[in-house]
Amino acid sequence: MGWLIDLVPLDYSDAVVVLGAMLLGITAGAVGVLAVLRQRSLVGDALAHAALPGVCIAFIATGAKDATSLLAGAAIAGLVGALLMVGIERTGRIRPDAAIGVVLSSFFSLGIVLLTYIASTDNSNQAGLEKYLFGQAAGLLERDLAVMAGLAIVALTLVAIGFRALKTTLFDPAFAGAVGLPVRLLEIAMTALLVVAIVIGLRMVGAILMVAMLVAPAVAARQLAGRLALVIPLAAVIGAAVGVSGALLASRAEIPTGPVIVLVAVSVVIVCVLIAPRRGVLWRARRLARDRRRILAEGVLVDLETAIHAGPPLTAAELALASARPARALRRALRDLDRAGMLRRDGERLYLSQPGAAAAHAVLERRDLWAAWLEHGSRLGVPDAREPDPTDLRASLGDEYADRLHALARAAER
Amino acid sequence: MTATPTPALEVRRLTVSYGAHPVLWDVDARFPASALSAIVGPNGAGKSTLLKAALGLVASDGGQTLIEGRPVRSARDRVAYVPQRDAIDWDFPITVREVVEMGRYAATGWLRRVGRSQAALVDACLERVGMTGYAARQIGELSGGQRQRVFIARALAQQAPVMLLDEPFAGVDARTEASILKLLHELRDEGSSMVVVHHDLTTVRSAFDWALLLNVRVVAAGPVGETLTPANVRRAYGAAAEPVDQAQASWAG
Repeated sequence: MGWLIDLVPLDYSDAVVVLGAMLLGITAGAVGVLAVLRQRSLVGDALAHAALPGVCIAFIATGAKDATSLLAGAAIAGLVGALLMVGIERTGRIRPDAAIGVVLSSFFSLGIVLLTYIASTDNSNQAGLEKYLFGQAAGLLERDLAVMAGLAIVALTLVAIGFRALKTTLFDPAFAGAVGLPVRLLEIAMTALLVVAIVIGLRMVGAILMVAMLVAPAVAARQLAGRLALVIPLAAVIGAAVGVSGALLASRAEIPTGPVIVLVAVSVVIVCVLIAPRRGVLWRARRLARDRRRILAEGVLVDLETAIHAGPPLTAAELALASARPARALRRALRDLDRAGMLRRDGERLYLSQPGAAAAHAVLERRDLWAAWLEHGSRLGVPDAREPDPTDLRASLGDEYADRLHALARAAER
Repeated sequence: MTATPTPALEVRRLTVSYGAHPVLWDVDARFPASALSAIVGPNGAGKSTLLKAALGLVASDGGQTLIEGRPVRSARDRVAYVPQRDAIDWDFPITVREVVEMGRYAATGWLRRVGRSQAALVDACLERVGMTGYAARQIGELSGGQRQRVFIARALAQQAPVMLLDEPFAGVDARTEASILKLLHELRDEGSSMVVVHHDLTTVRSAFDWALLLNVRVVAAGPVGETLTPANVRRAYGAAAEPVDQAQASWAG
């Protein structure tokens, strides 16, 4: 690992921390996507908590704080916890969420009891074991790094090799089973991968907050990408970025790494959930507001157009009465129409300008087209799966079918 | 019915139970090749379970399934499956094209890239269900009818002579239902065999060749005209007699 550490332009101990956090972020990010998409995020939480007694028992058995044996203990305890969860579920009387709760709390309690017991012994090695609770990136050894790297490579290779099988099983387990995939085995493999990621992260982030490293990058990446083949690498990158920045911040400020990494991760998630294109909360809210505003303006446009045929042009006050729209909404719509150059004013009276009249006719044509679709659409014989969009039938059906629909409607009127 | 002697799908003495409840009891059924067959029966009759158990997706207490005369384990490449859509997470990050490509994985191998000839096949399957313009869309952006078309395209991509469809018309608008039925008829005329779980007796009477009337046990099986007699239907559905056929949904969806 020496050459890798030399590559990082930081002093030795920071370089080790950065590499460790990166390995953790990449693995947890990639593997976490599998758990989140299976709606099994909390299984990751339970497995991380379940790993704690494994660490303690390994320490009691070996009497030394050797990373390899402690992490082996963590892995075994995690797998036992996973098996127990499946077993409890299979009895058929206890639901999965309850099984997760039982395993998480009982294993974690055992871990705390064992930690307390170890602290009471006079083994001089025991100091520092409590770091497995909240994580401590500082003081990571090059030796630990090598173990983490090995595990990360194994996990990522498995995800890459099994990508298609995993994708199929995640998306549609019934179909996966029908084409002969070993669905049960693949689900076990995904849980095992989760355990590997947890083992890598345990020393850095700690048992209590490990779940955030599994879930947060996956959620953020899903907001940004629409294909699993992109979501997984993106989650790995986000995980690495979060891990590195969190670990550096924590070791500078001399606080446990877990909480810092989690706070960084959550900030990334919040930003992505809010502003991601197409999926972000703010993005969607903005589009909704824009649509409403447009529909309101179109409605007013049509009101004005029909009023012209009924009598003298209306004033804004008369229009408000006639259209039964809230005064504020109407003012806003008129302002929008003014700005678009669709209105002419003669004192108080409102006229449609040339473009305004054209726009009003376009809206009316769309309404007519929709009415025609409802009445005659079945005779149109649209050959493929395109579906009518009420807001713009012409664009969704295509010009050819829109024109034919008009012809059908005209023929029916005669 | 000019069925070849070897049925497309045959189950022998199939018994499935969830807990102590038998869902399927000693079911013997043969579905002819090159025909459009339906499995009909009341809710809870075990219609979907019959397909799942035949494919080995749920554990059965006993019984055997043959696809074109061979055990299902060695005939997975001869059967395509369109599962029910209610268990799918529609927010899954996947495009329409990727879903259809899934139908090719078993044949091309789970590791190889999807090559050019495979891509052309996927295009052809999308075209056949009228979804050509939608290949790059997210599956979650589609309507219920369009999603069903994509699932059928995936089954077409499997290029298997036998196709099992589980409630393909559930939650689908009437226009899509009509075009799926037309496609199934075309496939039958090309020699494919289809077994469809369906609940609408009117459609089965007018559009299907063969029917299995099921209510945990087999009530009747055979050509539609001989099977779906008022007496048989009453036996399957109990005293309620024939269920009121659901009013046709507005085709405009």
